[in-house]
Amino acid sequence: MKIMNTINGKKEKQNNLFIINGSIIDAKARNIYKSDIIIERGLIKRIEKDIKADEVDKNIYKVIDAGNLIICPGFFDMHVHLRDPGFEDEEDIKSGINSAIRGGITSLACMPNTNPVIDMPFLVRYLKMNSYLNDYNIFPVAAITRNLEGENITEFGLLKEAGAAAFSDDGRGIQNSKLMYEIMKYAAQMDVLLILHEEDYTFSENGVVHEGYFSAAKGLEGISNLSEDIMIARDLILAKKTGARIHLTHLSSAAAIDYVRMAKNDNVNVTCDVTPEHFFFNDECIKDFNTNFKVKPPIRSENDRRSIIEGIKDGTVDAIASDHAPHIEAEKNISFNEAAFGSIGLETLFKASISKLHIEEKISLERIIELISSAPSKIMNAGENTVKTGQIANISIVDVNSIEKYTKEMIISKSRNSAFININLCGEVIYTIVNGCLRFINKNKSQGEDFS
Amino acid sequence: MELRNIISIDELNKEQILKIIESTIYFKEVLERDLKKVPALRGKTVVNLFYEPSTRTRTSFEIAAKRLSADVLNFAPSTSSLKKGETELDTIKTILAMKADLAVIRHKDSGFVKYISDNINIPVINGGDGRHSHPTQALLDLFTIYEHFKSMDKIEIAIVGDMLNSRVARSDILLFKQMGFSVFTVCPSMLLPEDMSYFGTENFNSIDDVIERCDVIYMLRMQFERQNRKLYPSVREYNRFFSLDISRFKKMKKGSILMHPGPVNRGIEIDGRILDMEEENMERIKISEQVSNGVAVRMSLLHYLLSQQ
Repeated sequence: MKIMNTINGKKEKQNNLFIINGSIIDAKARNIYKSDIIIERGLIKRIEKDIKADEVDKNIYKVIDAGNLIICPGFFDMHVHLRDPGFEDEEDIKSGINSAIRGGITSLACMPNTNPVIDMPFLVRYLKMNSYLNDYNIFPVAAITRNLEGENITEFGLLKEAGAAAFSDDGRGIQNSKLMYEIMKYAAQMDVLLILHEEDYTFSENGVVHEGYFSAAKGLEGISNLSEDIMIARDLILAKKTGARIHLTHLSSAAAIDYVRMAKNDNVNVTCDVTPEHFFFNDECIKDFNTNFKVKPPIRSENDRRSIIEGIKDGTVDAIASDHAPHIEAEKNISFNEAAFGSIGLETLFKASISKLHIEEKISLERIIELISSAPSKIMNAGENTVKTGQIANISIVDVNSIEKYTKEMIISKSRNSAFININLCGEVIYTIVNGCLRFINKNKSQGEDFS
Repeated sequence: MELRNIISIDELNKEQILKIIESTIYFKEVLERDLKKVPALRGKTVVNLFYEPSTRTRTSFEIAAKRLSADVLNFAPSTSSLKKGETELDTIKTILAMKADLAVIRHKDSGFVKYISDNINIPVINGGDGRHSHPTQALLDLFTIYEHFKSMDKIEIAIVGDMLNSRVARSDILLFKQMGFSVFTVCPSMLLPEDMSYFGTENFNSIDDVIERCDVIYMLRMQFERQNRKLYPSVREYNRFFSLDISRFKKMKKGSILMHPGPVNRGIEIDGRILDMEEENMERIKISEQVSNGVAVRMSLLHYLLSQQ
């Protein structure tokens, strides 16, 4: 049995689409061109300039007027906490998917720190089954060590066969260097991707914010850059030695970016991502003790933030991922020390990236879209994610020019711990097409097209 | 060249190996007689010094010596005066003072057998030292292969399992390579030594990569309890990539054989049902044949070393 796809809650079949007047981003070739698109039974059938309206039967096709809008390959968020199974009060698969499509995200990788931890093949199958039932692209990430305990390696081979797209102990750093060496050797043998959360606990023990000017000023315990830098240096050495494919997630420090840049020049098989929070804000954000800025790794100094942006500009940073980490009110509306780490980000991934990197830093739209669509797709081995004939339509249609204050009321996710609340953000997702189905229409912003 | 000891395979040349194989043919014939005994070593004394528990190898040496009419003395360190302040060498010299003619030694430390043989003046056969060497196992394996294929040309062999902890694998690879076989290993990354260039073998990631092409599938004992920090994830993951199950057994090349140094961990490296089919599949499953050949090879070695004197 397959659950019907729904558009804004209404059951409708929407997989024959005629998109007119739009500009398509080719993230791979890094250019933008005007063209119309016909999607038939979910597949991109034609991409041509000025397809005549009378060629298309309006009884069968929904017409989308994408005038002044940009047609992007569907966004791929490679770092999401769906909280399912086990923490469904914070998020579940359905609410997570709804939040994602609101953000133009058509594929996501979900982290295994659930309850139970995703460390057995049947648990990976649970996620794959829900991916299918919801007709959404979920790429399960399985644990590297049993129960994320940093002791025993999980069944990489069997988990991969069950559908694990990558392996991560996200939320925990693997402290034992010899174990990490064995993990990398086995990852190389089984040809799997490791997504590494880099944290040396001896430096981060009781820390809650970046160790620096503001931790000193506000009397909060700091987490030194060294916590991340040391582990990244270690793992780049191990990756070079073993040939393992590693992806360093949510980089936060200037030195980390430098080490990755050096390692790439040294042909180490490494990629990395950063979150919008880490390039949008600096550690001054905690000066009012707003717990939505309590994330791990912490939001660091202006110097670190600048290095991350340089890394994005020069290609050292491969992808932007949200690290969407939903928490119930009770875990955030509490003293800074007691509050949980993490902020949600599926719905702001695109907007925050556009606002900071395109409008402010003048990075090209094509490059930004690459960072949130085709690049993560490639890292996750999920195929070429571009708008091309013959492919299943995973498309996000966006307005780059809109500007609006982001408010708590706009949030679709079950949790509301966003760092971007009350901030003016540019860009808006207008339509999201997942696996050929129109799954999201931004009612306020869509342009009166024919939906008869 | 005179051969005084059998310590490791690298000390044997091809000519000596062939001579041992040749005389093993003769001694195997002796074992098939009604009266399974020859007076070749009458009056000689062989001492078995086994510091590590062993039933199969020790018994095999004991029977081999007895079939050659030698006297056998079994020495087990737990019943000795090892803990009374004597060094291991002192103990051995005491036993040798009782006029033993040859010592078979097994010990948990690599290099121990060489150390003893350098300090005593009778021939020594290595019954297995640490992870280093088990030359009599390798020779009986070679004999088993030769006996089956009647030749040593163009043999392709895959050794499957734990290379890190296995002295059998090390000795087998060296011996087979010297005889010109193509030798592959199939081993999980955590159980493969960092640098295998001394052995010159190519490693595969799953038994499925070799099962249909090799003439010999040599399964090693997978000792989960011996693993350092229990690095390998699970038995079922091992089963999926490295074990011999019925369907893989059926995929084995025509005329190929299955070997194992014993004792088999049923359900771990080999599906127990395959072992139960051994009697109907004598041409393919050589595990019992290896044990029989072990006695003949050890007779051949005892005779070789003691008749030179």
